[in-house]
Amino acid sequence: MPSTNNRRPGGASLLKLQPVDTGAFQGAAPGWLVWGSLILVWLASLLPWRLWQPTPDVLLLALLYWCLNAPARVGLTTAFVFGLLMDVQDAGLLGLHALCYVLAAYGVLWLSHRLRHFNAWWQTVQVLPVLVVACMLSNLLGAWLNGAWEGWEWLWSALFTGVLWPLPEILMSLHPRRQGGDGAGP
Amino acid sequence: MREPGTLRLFKRGPSIEVRLVLLLVLCLGLIVTDAHWPVLGPVRSALATVLYPFQRIVLAPRDALEYFDRWSHAAALARDEQDALRRQRIEMAQLSTHAAQLATENEQLRRLLNVAESAAQQSVAVEVFYVPPNAFNHRLVFNKGSQAGIAPGMPVIDEGGVVGQIVRVTPFTSEAALLIDDQVSIPVQVLRNGLRLIAFGSNEVGKLEVRYLSTSVDVRTGDVLVTSGIGGLFPAGLPVGRVERVERDPGSGFAMAIAEPLSHPERYRHFLVLRVDVADVPRPEEIEHALDQQ
Repeated sequence: MPSTNNRRPGGASLLKLQPVDTGAFQGAAPGWLVWGSLILVWLASLLPWRLWQPTPDVLLLALLYWCLNAPARVGLTTAFVFGLLMDVQDAGLLGLHALCYVLAAYGVLWLSHRLRHFNAWWQTVQVLPVLVVACMLSNLLGAWLNGAWEGWEWLWSALFTGVLWPLPEILMSLHPRRQGGDGAGP
Repeated sequence: MREPGTLRLFKRGPSIEVRLVLLLVLCLGLIVTDAHWPVLGPVRSALATVLYPFQRIVLAPRDALEYFDRWSHAAALARDEQDALRRQRIEMAQLSTHAAQLATENEQLRRLLNVAESAAQQSVAVEVFYVPPNAFNHRLVFNKGSQAGIAPGMPVIDEGGVVGQIVRVTPFTSEAALLIDDQVSIPVQVLRNGLRLIAFGSNEVGKLEVRYLSTSVDVRTGDVLVTSGIGGLFPAGLPVGRVERVERDPGSGFAMAIAEPLSHPERYRHFLVLRVDVADVPRPEEIEHALDQQ
């Protein structure tokens, strides 16, 4: 599993030497929790409740949450794989969901240093544009290749997903090992 | 600042930007390939086979609930169904005697004409497994696939008429495009006057379109469209739709008929896939090739 450390290597040489998993001291999420929650949410996404188009994409939400809070485990590749699985499930063009997920995951990883300075509500404001842009690009491409514009439901879906951003934060704060906040709160 | 859980002194693997570009190229490649060529079929089929057990597990509570619901209402349902069937039987009685008479007559005429007797169509009963949530197309996924002898191209019918056509098959599931999906086109005939046309999925949700008619064409509101049997995939005579209105555009010189499908895929869960011989039907590429050679 490659690291998703964004620090530029050109700075102080000490920055390179950070062998200690500081995450553990901040209550980093254990692997079973990350993968368990992702698989659970993915299974939930197989249910027919997503037939209503503006439904929030909880799988994307979970992926982005773990991209921010467990970047060592969940990154672009994970987003790609889950996106591909959703494409097969939805019988759409292979790669459309994957594209949206990869773009959104990159957006969150790119913003991750910044996001950690804010609480969940302010993070929502910054994650929303990422979600909208990622969903927009994949939907525009889909509309172009399918030759039809299928309405603005995807925008509602992206907005609802964004509004739900604090939800995993709240759920995780209930976890007994993580009362110190999960590294994202102030 | 987070580091991976294992002791790691130096960054390894490509940087995030490199991975982003690689994955984006992969995504775009997949999307464009899938939109234009059918080469990704095996990949999708393999992924779908991996997905299948999970789908079964996740949908098991729903199926169990439905089973229990049906079981608890079994008596009432059976009574209702019996009433409906009785009514239907009375309505059909006259028709069926007439049809039997016509069938014998037809057989006799066919023998006279030395035409091969049309074999009874083999079919597979399927049930809707799930409806894929996709804004771009109208599809249904059924619970049987190539294991049950289903192949892409086979028509799907319900008691109202043609529902759609199988477009993708995995070992345990199959995917049908509904008539209203704009990827489906179906050769039809106006029942009233035998006029042969082609119906497409419409831009208007839930409707069919018959395009490129000349403005003087004899199609009226209320006309029933049935399959014409041309093209070899859809057997002749299956009801397809009823014409709702005809839009004549004197500017372009063409007319377009909007029809409402006679089948109701949204109401039922059980359908019939007709196992026509898909291999016998020439593919569009072969026809083009043959035309080129001439």
